[in-house]
Amino acid sequence: MLAELINPYYLQVLSFILINIILGVSIYITLSTGQLSLGHAGFMGIGAYASAILTLDYHMPLVVGIVVGAILAGIVGLCIGIPTLRLQGVYLAIATLGFGEVIRVLFINLEGLTKGAVGISSIPHIGRELVKGLQDFGFKASMIGLKNNQLISLSVFLLLLIITLLIIAFFIRQTNSRVGRAFAAIKMDERAAEAMGVNITYYKVLAFAQGAMVAGFAGALFAHVTAYISPADFSYHRAVEILIFAIFGGSEVIWGPIFGAAFLTAMPEILREVNEYRYMIYGVLLVVMMAFRPQGLIDTQMIYKLKQRRKKKGVS
Amino acid sequence: MRKFSKGLISLVAVSSLLGITACGGGGTSSEPAGGEKPAAETAASGDTVNVNVGVVSILTGSGAGYGEAITNGLKLANKEITEQGKVKLNLLIEDSAGKQEQALSSAQKLMNSDNVSAIIGPTLSTEMNVVGPEADMNGVPIIGTSTTAQGIPQIGDYVFRNSIPESMAIPASIDAAVKAYDVKKVAIIYGNDDVFTKSGFDTMKAVAEEKGLEITTIEEFQKGQADYNAQLTKIKGTNPDLILASALYNEGAVIMSQARKMGITAPFVGGNGFNSPEVIKIAGEAAEGLIVATPWFGDKQDEKVQAFVEKYTAEYGKAPDQFAAQAYDALYVLADAVERAGSDDRDAIRDALAETKGFKGILGEMSFDEEGDIVMDPTVLTIKDGKFQLFQ
Amino acid sequence: MILEQLINGITLGSIYAIVALGYTLVFGVLDILNMAHGEIFMFGAFMGVLVTNTLKLPLIVAFLVAIGVTAILGFLLETLALRPLRGKKGVSHLAPLISTIGVSIFLENLAHHFFGAGNHPFRTSFSEMSFQIGTVTVYAVQIVIFVIAVLLMVGLSFWLSKTKAGKALRACAESLEAASILGVNTKKMITTTVIIASVMGGIAGVLVGMAFNSVSPQMGLSMGLKGLAIIILGGMGNVKGAMAGGLILGLAETLVVVFGESGYRDAIAFALIIIILLVRPQGLFGKASEARR
Repeated sequence: MLAELINPYYLQVLSFILINIILGVSIYITLSTGQLSLGHAGFMGIGAYASAILTLDYHMPLVVGIVVGAILAGIVGLCIGIPTLRLQGVYLAIATLGFGEVIRVLFINLEGLTKGAVGISSIPHIGRELVKGLQDFGFKASMIGLKNNQLISLSVFLLLLIITLLIIAFFIRQTNSRVGRAFAAIKMDERAAEAMGVNITYYKVLAFAQGAMVAGFAGALFAHVTAYISPADFSYHRAVEILIFAIFGGSEVIWGPIFGAAFLTAMPEILREVNEYRYMIYGVLLVVMMAFRPQGLIDTQMIYKLKQRRKKKGVS
Repeated sequence: MRKFSKGLISLVAVSSLLGITACGGGGTSSEPAGGEKPAAETAASGDTVNVNVGVVSILTGSGAGYGEAITNGLKLANKEITEQGKVKLNLLIEDSAGKQEQALSSAQKLMNSDNVSAIIGPTLSTEMNVVGPEADMNGVPIIGTSTTAQGIPQIGDYVFRNSIPESMAIPASIDAAVKAYDVKKVAIIYGNDDVFTKSGFDTMKAVAEEKGLEITTIEEFQKGQADYNAQLTKIKGTNPDLILASALYNEGAVIMSQARKMGITAPFVGGNGFNSPEVIKIAGEAAEGLIVATPWFGDKQDEKVQAFVEKYTAEYGKAPDQFAAQAYDALYVLADAVERAGSDDRDAIRDALAETKGFKGILGEMSFDEEGDIVMDPTVLTIKDGKFQLFQ
Repeated sequence: MILEQLINGITLGSIYAIVALGYTLVFGVLDILNMAHGEIFMFGAFMGVLVTNTLKLPLIVAFLVAIGVTAILGFLLETLALRPLRGKKGVSHLAPLISTIGVSIFLENLAHHFFGAGNHPFRTSFSEMSFQIGTVTVYAVQIVIFVIAVLLMVGLSFWLSKTKAGKALRACAESLEAASILGVNTKKMITTTVIIASVMGGIAGVLVGMAFNSVSPQMGLSMGLKGLAIIILGGMGNVKGAMAGGLILGLAETLVVVFGESGYRDAIAFALIIIILLVRPQGLFGKASEARR
């Protein structure tokens, strides 16, 4: 029955999809003011390392570690966001790229804190900690006909699902608020937005810091799902991968990066043969998308049409 | 974000509880699918035990070369084991692409969808750091055949390895080199952004200090670097008797080539990752004087070894390397354990594995210590006249 | 010892400079950061390996083949990845950047597929030639690299400022539309620029192979990012700035090793990017007006 459906393998893949969706959302936020960041792998790494070190060396609870990791990434985002404000477009992209690499080199060289290239292992696992907590309440996996590892994978998945949904809900609300409209105005035309009284400094830094914070949050979750992190996990390639989620799916509406992340994470699992050519496909994808559909697969028009169709159906 | 964290745990705990109990209550409470339901046992004919063995290896991407050698070694061993007929192992091979996430997904698939009784792999230590704890928690014995970094067998009771760790290989080779060349001063160069080379460097430094050798300088390099002249010029200036280089063979060979060109004649001691015939291919004459300790020596005058080399070469068209040899031996060790356990029960196989003592394979005589780490004597080799030879 | 290190630094810096020249040319004319430049450089290096090691042909053939192949790659880059974006309405200025990142990923993995992940030896008798000045050994390759770098820089400056084609090119850099009205065949000029830039990358590739005896698919990324740092240091689109920036970075990386912090060697380039962008976004040799784009 249900127990048979709960296969940790599928849950594992779904969990990684959810983490990547959060990463996709993080780059979407930054992009929604027209800023391109190639430093999201760095923010992700800050969140991951902060949370891993706090929970492992200072025995903080997981929740504290993850939240502090996210906030720290947000603060670093703020510190990077303010001075880089005067940089635009390509220059900002390059500055963030440099930032990401510097962060990675710091992870490698600050051995006392990060254990260098060897990486941090046996980080507390969200699922295992959660199930341990449940057991303390006298709840056991067998009580609902599940095995321990099924319950662990299930709890990780459900937790991530709830978190992801909350994040998506929050940013959908934000998009439809004053803040979201300010973001959109800045993306359209910065000068015009400024002329209309939008405080572009405030909103651009806000978007940048929010993106950094969400990326750091995803990084912290990543650390506690794989239970092992090393500097190589947060390289330039990761930053490009995150960017591809948004470019492929679309960066106009939040559903774009969500779809992009889900599709591109699931693809190599479904089509194992694709794996061999995965990065070549990514490369071609970027070129083709830019040439034919720079706004991504899912754009505002598509969402609008979908809504129209639904409305029509509702009427008839 | 604060909003999300508040009461998050309780929320999830409650919701997952509700969700599951609601469905679970209505259904049967029979044994779940992810269990040790002995599907294989019923299929077993007579006395031979039929066991599913999962393999996680790199089949695609940059590390595919390692994965190919490993799976070839395993397939060859399995062919022979099947012919001998004492046990029957079904190999189920999954790709990890060298990435932790995918290694974990693959291992989950093997453990839960395919119900394997044991896992061989994954290839990289970074992958093992992620997969090991999961396998240990699920009670699935897992044997690393190429994971040499520190702390791998210490992950848990179910985690084993038959690849010799750097902490065993490096002291052996440094010992031999110090004796042969009367070494007093050493220089160290290592890649500081790679798990293996960093881990090897830690061992090198510890061993050098322990032996009271003077370390003249410690130099670092990073992946993808092409120019080592600056570091080597500095090393040359300190005039060491011996250079300890913790590098993968790719970078290591280039380092040796640039060092020899510069006029550095001191011998090199390398770690596990430096030990490859590719070094000779890339560096040519400059590779002379490299000293490595290895569990595997293909030219060993041993019946078993030569038979393996011959069969492997006939089957796959190239000579086996240490990855193939270690994988080959690992499957034999596992088969031996399964035979002694006499069932496909994961715990029984683990206990039998832990008791492995003095197993004679192509690598030599090996045992597992109480942590699941391998115990054996590595062979020290050096490159001389364009090939690896025993170091005297 | 310090003298040898200076030579090491200048050699490395000259190679960086040649790579950066290609970058800066494309940026100067098209306002595009060509992120695939490093990978084109890598292909040039592999052509050198293929010709000298596999086919056992002389070094000069290696240069010719590398030039030919990278010219074709440059042409393909322009026609397939850049031209479709040009003049299209609603395409953000970030589109070419992303598109060239795509090309770079594709080329890196293509090389992976063809040549494998490992390092390839690059052995030529020429790279063994050396002579002694006092206590210092100098290799012919080191001098050749430096001379080629200077020649390319001088040649490029001359071509840009004195020849008709160069003037047309600079006109394009000022304004594509105005240049086209004035009778410049902008399409041809742009293609020429990208091809010349790519060929410079190819030449640098062969030189790196000769100097360091190491060619691998990953070398493009690391060299590409260094080149990026250099043009930001020297000023985007500035030929002399690229040369000076290259030498500065090469010497800085070598000196970091001399002073015992080799672990941070790779970080210098990236730290430079951040510092320069924050303190002097137009670069050391750039004019202030070039900054905000």
